[in-house]
Amino acid sequence: MSNNEKTEDQSGTKAASIVPASLSESRPQTGDGMKRAAAKEQIEKFYYQLTDGCGRENCENAHCASSPTFILRDQERNTLALKAVELFRNKADLCGVQPSKVARAAKPAQASSSSQGTSPCEPSTSACTTPVKPVVSFMKPSSSSSSLSEKSASMASVQYLTEEKIKELVDECEGSKSWSKFIRLIGATFNNPESLSISFLMQPEGSGQTKHSKDTNTKKFDEDKDVDEKEDFIDIQSKHKNNQTAIEQLNLSEDDVSVDIASVRRAFDALMNIPDLPFIPALTNALTYLAKGVHIDLKFNPLILKQNPQLLNVFVIVMELPCLSSPEFIERAFPDFCKALCKLPLSGQCKLAKVWAKFGADWVRERVQSLHQLITVRIVNNEGRWGRGYHINDDADIASATRVMKILYYASIYGGERDSEKTIAEEKSINDDDENLQDMLQLQGAVGHSEPKELRHQKEDPYAQQLNAYSIDCRKPLVPYEEFINELLNEYLDVETDYKYKDDTDDTKISFMNHSYILTTASKFTLMYFDNRVRMFNERRSSILQTIVHGLPPIPYLRLQVRRDHLIDDALVALEMTAMDNPQDLKKQLFIEFDGEQGLDEGGVSKEFFQLVIEEIFNIDFGMFVYNEEQNVFWFNPTSFENDGQFTLIGIMLGLAIYNSTIVDVHFPAVVYRKLMGKKGTFEDLKEVDTTLAKSLQELMDYTEDDIDEVFMQTFQIGYKDVFGSSLTHDLKENGNQINVTQQNKKEFTTLYADFILNKSIQKQFRAFKRGFQMVVNESPLKTLFKPEEIELLVCGSKEFDFSALEQATEYDAGFTADHRTIKHFWEVVHEFTEEQKRKLLQFTTGTDKVPVGGLSKLKLIIARNGPDSERLPTAHTCFNVLLLPDYTTKEKLQERLIKAISYSKGFGML
Amino acid sequence: MAATRRLQKELGDLRKADLKTFRNIIVDESNILKWEGLIVPDQVPFNKGAFKVEINFPAEYPFKPPKVTFKTKIYHPNIDEKGQVCLPIISPEHWKPATKTDQVIQSLIALVQEPEPGHPLRPDLAEEFTRDKKKFFKNADEYTKKHSEKRPTD
Repeated sequence: MSNNEKTEDQSGTKAASIVPASLSESRPQTGDGMKRAAAKEQIEKFYYQLTDGCGRENCENAHCASSPTFILRDQERNTLALKAVELFRNKADLCGVQPSKVARAAKPAQASSSSQGTSPCEPSTSACTTPVKPVVSFMKPSSSSSSLSEKSASMASVQYLTEEKIKELVDECEGSKSWSKFIRLIGATFNNPESLSISFLMQPEGSGQTKHSKDTNTKKFDEDKDVDEKEDFIDIQSKHKNNQTAIEQLNLSEDDVSVDIASVRRAFDALMNIPDLPFIPALTNALTYLAKGVHIDLKFNPLILKQNPQLLNVFVIVMELPCLSSPEFIERAFPDFCKALCKLPLSGQCKLAKVWAKFGADWVRERVQSLHQLITVRIVNNEGRWGRGYHINDDADIASATRVMKILYYASIYGGERDSEKTIAEEKSINDDDENLQDMLQLQGAVGHSEPKELRHQKEDPYAQQLNAYSIDCRKPLVPYEEFINELLNEYLDVETDYKYKDDTDDTKISFMNHSYILTTASKFTLMYFDNRVRMFNERRSSILQTIVHGLPPIPYLRLQVRRDHLIDDALVALEMTAMDNPQDLKKQLFIEFDGEQGLDEGGVSKEFFQLVIEEIFNIDFGMFVYNEEQNVFWFNPTSFENDGQFTLIGIMLGLAIYNSTIVDVHFPAVVYRKLMGKKGTFEDLKEVDTTLAKSLQELMDYTEDDIDEVFMQTFQIGYKDVFGSSLTHDLKENGNQINVTQQNKKEFTTLYADFILNKSIQKQFRAFKRGFQMVVNESPLKTLFKPEEIELLVCGSKEFDFSALEQATEYDAGFTADHRTIKHFWEVVHEFTEEQKRKLLQFTTGTDKVPVGGLSKLKLIIARNGPDSERLPTAHTCFNVLLLPDYTTKEKLQERLIKAISYSKGFGML
Repeated sequence: MAATRRLQKELGDLRKADLKTFRNIIVDESNILKWEGLIVPDQVPFNKGAFKVEINFPAEYPFKPPKVTFKTKIYHPNIDEKGQVCLPIISPEHWKPATKTDQVIQSLIALVQEPEPGHPLRPDLAEEFTRDKKKFFKNADEYTKKHSEKRPTD
């Protein structure tokens, strides 16, 4: 930038900043917004009349630059702007012809004194005053559906920000100790979407003359550079055309915006270093103004983003402001900004998600925290209002903040570690297969009753669809899922209201059910409970309706009559019949009757029924499941003889347990729930099914020496045992026993091994199981609300450790008895432990924190005296659940030693 | 059997090494997953006898650790009455698939010869061992004479 140009820039800055700044001093009130807009238009007209004239030669108006009698020629623009305001106030005459209508291209650069040579179409990267017709017309709400081709009288010379400009001005203001100039600049640029959308543009590599390079990134900016820096106006037609070409080019680069983000950050850092931040009030006002304008434009012109893709830059830049969650912004400017942001069409929001995903975990986390703050402040400030008739669901601020959080949520998933496309494709084909099978079976059963397939498909989140980023495919999002939960919001959540708004499209209301990332598991559980009950009620009602209309006998419940001594058979037959005849009946409320017993099922009988069936079916002797004692979990028996029906029954049972909100004591590893949700088990899941195997395979992976074959001598053939303990082998690939595991193929080996254990070997059993489960829950919001780990929680309940049961069942050895002083101390200490400490103690003594089937009393813990009082720490034999406790003399010492042992012991060894 | 190749080699190596302290390795050719052998300690108090042990390899070997059980009764703080022994090298938490059976046997012999009273399976014996070594040695010696196998003559 030459010196000459710089002066020019600054005078331009001053001049143009006055007009909007004078308007943005106070927040626009809705009432006089129109007047204000009209006034602004008028003042602008006066201003252009002073700077450029009306275009008629020999104009008789003394206040027109075209007039020979014009007195203010060659005045500074600032002076002219002030004069314009004065003229407006005095209601001076305005020339009939609006100066803005004059094609400035025909009369170039009248007002400027230099660089006459540049033609209007030549690019210039250093242009600081880019005159364009306002793309968004937020200044004039009356004609808010403005399009580019629309004729508009208002014509502003738009200035924009660059890093250099901000830094220069900061330096200048620092020197002069007066910040007014700077404040004006901030106020003027941040209230104008147009200014912001062309601020901080990425500069093409090298000089500004690279316009014609084939690089799309470069091309994208050209639309703003097709203007001579000295030109105040541009032909509307050509601008429009440029914009269109820009759109076409933009389609090529999906994930980028034209903002030079590094430069924005440097500039904002400089901004935040200004002592006392004098610009904050101007900035808050400007932002509010900006947000309202953009909001209206987006609302009334849904195509605006297509017409001006650069509008997204506004959101990108504002979200970079480090002070967004500071008290000055959080009450008004930030919420308003959020509201505008929610108005962006889905494609725009998704693009933002992609852009933000690139900014990394810390960036996303900070923004999420800001939104949490906004929501929390809003809830706390209105503490007294929530309740009858007005709920957090009705609050537009909270609604929009939550919606913005969704963009961040998907940014976090989009940027996180997701499963490979290959895996997802495989899973899809498995799921489709399963579904087809289900359809077939249901058609065989009852044609009339099976509902259309679309209905059964859960609504998929449009964001996930658009971004092709599903939370279930992402184990490691940028920001952990828990961080999106807002505890306070959950406290104030009114389930009934939330459910009512479920399908509401009004954007001032919100149903958090559609934004489940913000909810705790408990809230989601209540919501699903509500949903299930509503469904049961509907089933009951339609059954009564059928009775009246068709004269069928009323079957308002899913009534099962079972004999205690033939529990499995009876349940199996009854449920199988229901599943075949009318699967819809599974969605009725469960009602269990034990043969010959009077118990009326109000929930208790079902609970016992579940417990009995599950106990029996999970019995290892039954052969359907195998039990891993190391992890206290069940896994499908790959060599089971049972028919599919029994696995289907277990699936139905599990589904019914969730549907009827009964907690059952099943011990599945979390991967079972992942698989139920349509995922495949992978090596990562193996550790919860078979820890030792997973660890050993990891060792293999970590082994980098060349002698891998000599050390492991492993082939692609693996061994396993069936229920009777005889050894079987399986070739992971064809002729597996001929293929040695080497450094090159060890990854393939572990993947195949895990795939065999978790998927292949139990495919038949699991498919049947899943089919049963789906029969019951296919319509419930289970899949959309919950993550697999949470479903485990739904089924088994939260894991509280019942240490009283443990104490009852514990045995003592080597000199300890239940009445021993040290043992009494021990239990006193342990009962005061937190859940986490209890968990650690379990881990320490038994090697796992999973409670065995039947509760802690089945643990068979032995506490043995390990010598007299000493400084030694307690130790444990995880192989035999033995805790070795030195005979500490005081309770305090016992407590201290025990806590130390469970907190720091990770390793295993002979201490 | 999948693990055959490695187990065959380990067995061959072990036999070739001809350890003085681990002998008479018997393996049923139809089931290579089960080995038997004789621990022959050369230090007091167990140097008067020999102890039969059984090593059971899982089908998933070497991705799962083998199990070692004493078939001969032994007076030892780290081996319980049922012959179970808690050997860190083959505990599920510490098992490494690269660990060879001869390492397992070496560490087993080391444990037999030098009890670890800090981590006992029989705390009563451990306490005796730490408090009154003489008494422990005497008891162990007597017990060995009474219960253990004959030491190989060569």
